[in-house]
Amino acid sequence: MELQLGLALPTPNMLKGFDLNNHGLDQLKEMGGLEAWNKAAGCFADKDCVKSKRSFEQAFGNFTEECRTKPLLLWSGQPNEEEDHKDQKKATFSTTDENDAEEDDQVVGWPPIKTWRKKIFQQQQQPRVGRAENNRVAENENGRSIYVKVKMEGVAITRKIDIKVYHSYQSLTNSLITMFTKDKKCNEDDYILTYQDKEGDWLIAGDIPWQNFVTSVQRMEIVKNWG
Amino acid sequence: MHKKMAFSFPDEVLEHVFSFIQSDKDRNAVSMVCKSWYEIERWCRRKVFVGNCYAVSPRMVIRRFPEFRSIELKGKPHFADFNLVPDGWGGYVFPWIAEMAGAYPWLEEIRLKRMVVTDESLELIAKSFKNFKVLVLSSCEGFSTDGLAAIAASCKNLKELDLRDCEVDDLSAHWLSHFPETYTSLVSLNISCLGSDEASFSALERLVRRCTNLKTLRLNRAVPLDKIANILRHAPQLVEFGTGTYTADVRPDVYSDLAGVLSSCKELKSLSGFWDVIPDYLPAIYPVCSKLTSLNLSYATIQSPDLIKLVSHCPNLQRLLVLDYIEDSGLEVLASSCKDLQELRVFPSDPFGAEPNVSLTEQGLVAVSLGCPKLQSVLYFCRRMSNEALVTIARSRPNFTRFRLCIIEPKTADYLTLEPLDVGFGAIVQYCKDLRRLSLSGLLTDRVFEYIGTYAKKLEMLSVAFAGDSDLGLHHVLSGCESLRKLEIRDCPFGDKALLANAAKLETMRSLWMSSCAVSFAACKLLGQKMPRLNVEVIDERGPPDSRPENCPVDKLYIYRSIAGPRFDMPPFVWTMDEDSGLRLS
Repeated sequence: MELQLGLALPTPNMLKGFDLNNHGLDQLKEMGGLEAWNKAAGCFADKDCVKSKRSFEQAFGNFTEECRTKPLLLWSGQPNEEEDHKDQKKATFSTTDENDAEEDDQVVGWPPIKTWRKKIFQQQQQPRVGRAENNRVAENENGRSIYVKVKMEGVAITRKIDIKVYHSYQSLTNSLITMFTKDKKCNEDDYILTYQDKEGDWLIAGDIPWQNFVTSVQRMEIVKNWG
Repeated sequence: MHKKMAFSFPDEVLEHVFSFIQSDKDRNAVSMVCKSWYEIERWCRRKVFVGNCYAVSPRMVIRRFPEFRSIELKGKPHFADFNLVPDGWGGYVFPWIAEMAGAYPWLEEIRLKRMVVTDESLELIAKSFKNFKVLVLSSCEGFSTDGLAAIAASCKNLKELDLRDCEVDDLSAHWLSHFPETYTSLVSLNISCLGSDEASFSALERLVRRCTNLKTLRLNRAVPLDKIANILRHAPQLVEFGTGTYTADVRPDVYSDLAGVLSSCKELKSLSGFWDVIPDYLPAIYPVCSKLTSLNLSYATIQSPDLIKLVSHCPNLQRLLVLDYIEDSGLEVLASSCKDLQELRVFPSDPFGAEPNVSLTEQGLVAVSLGCPKLQSVLYFCRRMSNEALVTIARSRPNFTRFRLCIIEPKTADYLTLEPLDVGFGAIVQYCKDLRRLSLSGLLTDRVFEYIGTYAKKLEMLSVAFAGDSDLGLHHVLSGCESLRKLEIRDCPFGDKALLANAAKLETMRSLWMSSCAVSFAACKLLGQKMPRLNVEVIDERGPPDSRPENCPVDKLYIYRSIAGPRFDMPPFVWTMDEDSGLRLS
């Protein structure tokens, strides 16, 4: 698709004066960043240079072949061996993560969310102690929030909802209907709500008292009613 | 001897004229007209703004402006908000307080952002300034409730105490009781960042009851829902209110109490708080919604249907902060209900999750841009974007002054064409001629910087991450953006050339931050040596930069203009490059 933007790009004249060493503009343009890169690359091959914790390429796999220059960005690794002096103030994103598998993929300070907001977010989604599988996404021991995944047959997005927010099956199903009918036009009678309990069994929601349901539900799925 | 011009005004007249000029820019311009205007202006400047506390020394400020009443200071670079500036870097306010305490006792207002404030500083403020009225601490840290107690106890004329987003050591909630019973002048109180679980409700209630001029009250999470009614009952004049935790067992008496009290607050224009909100209690605020101009739901984990219901009740909304639970559908409703919307911030509910958990895409932003004619400021976190959407947004909303887009996964391409988003952001800078602040994200090449350098002539602040291919990118920005004051860059392939070639530009800016880029130690030393009015700070926790080859990139670089010279409060992992760096280029 053509984007009719009509942006006039600046001509090379703009680069006048850029050249620090009086080598001429064209030469500089041709070099682009390659030379600077190779210099930096040389430095990293040098064993005197402290090895970065992770190279940029390792961190971001979605680097395409189109990229002309070899990326070489110094990883500002926060050494994990060093003791944390104060509490969470120093905590990087990776140390506060819920899932060990994800730790290596986290980048310091990214996405750019303020520390206190991240803290609130983490308070709301504390991981369940000693849990390997993460179906029941997060549970806060203070009973403040319990996040549970909800999937609907035929809908790509799996939502996460806070079960604590509801106090009855009615309020839960009302909310789910409103949420999911945006994604998939359907008649609510065609679907039933099922859930997986602590033992791993899939059951139809509604049979046990609400409070028992809240403590036992691991995840939910809205499936077509064939009955 | 210099004869006074016959047509010049007496000083008092000029002073009176100058008193109508409030903005710093204008006052600075006035002071440059001639020597006598400089003199008059400096004696009558009442508000001083120092954008970087290390750009000038307290003594210099006091010497030039001997009679200011209000000071605003900013400390750490913006990226400190995201943990990129190591603890202990600096930004201590104590030296400023100490100098001002000695200079004159009639200081009335102190506003600080990203500074380290100790209890000692707070106690000194409480002791030194008899007519102290306003303390605003924004994103500050280093103090405890003990320091607050000192302020409460001594500042009899305190009108405003605003602790927004601060990290406070919560030793005791009883600091509130240090406000004497005779104290009634409070107009604005924001304690939303305090964590204390045992808040002193009775002291808070009594305080609210006797401060009849209270207009702004932002509570912290510890204040339970059923206590809010009691507090609000005594403050129907409130204009801005922040709840505490907005959850409780569903009880009709609590609900009707709350709803009743809220509806008697006829002046309420702004609501915030809403931690742990449950939908059942939301309708209690419906009666006040029609007057609301500002709504902060960024802690509310309620889902789209409830958010939609709420938002549709607020036709006069000008400012909305919300989580991405609102989804595209909610933003479409927002676009059709809130035609006065000027500012929108959508935060991610699951920023570290690998997959999207909500249906919020570029479509939501497009909808709001198309539907809200007054929209000028946006902060939007999402997971996909297209050039097409950005062009549509730019064309339909050329009045953007602040555009901050964060596509969560770094280097995400246009999801439709798999191309970089250069053209999209290029459209933003081309059409939005008054753009002052821009944050980029997604897959971007040097091209986007060409566009920015060409078109973003009013741009004052630019944030860049994981973008660009070469030094040309940085060069375009430094050479083209005439109004640029703050540039912050992380994880970009920018190195020495652009920086050195545009060294003079750096003196026209407040600051430049570069981390995880490719600027060598040698270049830093050269810059520090050649530019005496720049402080070139190398921040490196790996150890001294000269323990590695000179062409090795530094970890973090912070360059700012300063007339105060190098600072002396640096921690061991910060080095200033100056004339004495002993430069030896290989």
